[in-house]
Amino acid sequence: MNSDEFEKFWRRIKEIERRMLESFREEEERILRELEEVRKALTPSWSYEGYLRPLYTVRDLGNEYVLYIDLPNADQGSIDIRFKGNAILIRAKLRMKHKFSEWSGQGGETVFTEYRDVITLPFNIDPSCVSLRQRKGMIELRIRKPKRV
Amino acid sequence: MFREVDFGEFRLTEYEYFRMKEPAYALLAMPDTGLVGVIGASHIIKVLNLKEVGGMDSYVYLPPIAVISKKEIRLPIRIFASNNLLVVYSEFMPPPQAFPILSKVLLDYFERKGVSHVLMASGLAVQNRFELDQLKTYYITTKPEVEEILKGVGAQPFENGFLVGPYALMLKEALRAEMPVTLVMTESFLEFPDPEASAKNLEALSKVIGITVDVKELIERAEAIRMRARDAMKAVMPSLTRMRKEYEYSMPLNI
Repeated sequence: MNSDEFEKFWRRIKEIERRMLESFREEEERILRELEEVRKALTPSWSYEGYLRPLYTVRDLGNEYVLYIDLPNADQGSIDIRFKGNAILIRAKLRMKHKFSEWSGQGGETVFTEYRDVITLPFNIDPSCVSLRQRKGMIELRIRKPKRV
Repeated sequence: MFREVDFGEFRLTEYEYFRMKEPAYALLAMPDTGLVGVIGASHIIKVLNLKEVGGMDSYVYLPPIAVISKKEIRLPIRIFASNNLLVVYSEFMPPPQAFPILSKVLLDYFERKGVSHVLMASGLAVQNRFELDQLKTYYITTKPEVEEILKGVGAQPFENGFLVGPYALMLKEALRAEMPVTLVMTESFLEFPDPEASAKNLEALSKVIGITVDVKELIERAEAIRMRARDAMKAVMPSLTRMRKEYEYSMPLNI
């Protein structure tokens, strides 16, 4: 094998390696998303501690993730979103308190005062790569993926 | 209890005797895209003060659930009626393998009740719903005379695309049974309750039925409804995912 042939062979090996790593990453993301769906389905949408978990959806658009978080009746000025590693920490006060007994026979005297949740993404989030929009009690977060995700 | 009838794996119960006035309409509301149908039907039941006259259950196809409403034990699929309107309402989505039998059971029941037109309400998921203020309404009908009414409220025919879910099966079964059926769909979120879309959808549906339904409350209380409907939406999402609801986003290859 001369050096040209070896170079060609080596490039092919590297290309196969790149594709394998890419499909592993995609598969890892898919499994994490499915686990997240299971976690979401099994987690109650409210807590006796007096908070509600908002509905949200995560869309993978290739170079960025778009999250929509539904925060109806939240006080828009109190919406607090923080990033820690790969986690998004959401808190927002409700415009008025809600008693669980208004909606159902369960929950006793629990009174809800805020939304609270933690959403995780498969990469560490750089806050400078995040844009946020609010509309009709809903939040849109656009999070650019880091180069090697 | 007035009577019980078994249809395959479904049991239909009527709590009392009732007759529908002519022309009778049936509105079917299953939990689907943006819960548009069930939010709208729930509003109709409330504002028209419809009476709960029956229900459906299946120990095979539905989760082992009893609905407790105003201290009464009710079935998971609930039937409300008044004058010439029958509303079949469910917050629970049966698994896809139940859709064929459920469609047949419902159409058979509507026929027995003298229903002359079956209406169905749904959302139509659009990816840019977050941006939209003006929501479009579409329809698919086997009853050509309602087209003028629907066009009169700005609805457009749904010309090409795919439908996934119980309404798709209902349309196909209604076509086979030669039963007039209309599906009214309004642009909405897929995964969030969308009362605004329900209001728009109801404007079109009420015109077809020939009733007046004030949707102002739906719009004014939209955020409160979204808040309350979170659990229903969360419960239905795995079913929508399993039945590959995202096909509705796809473009058909052959028109």
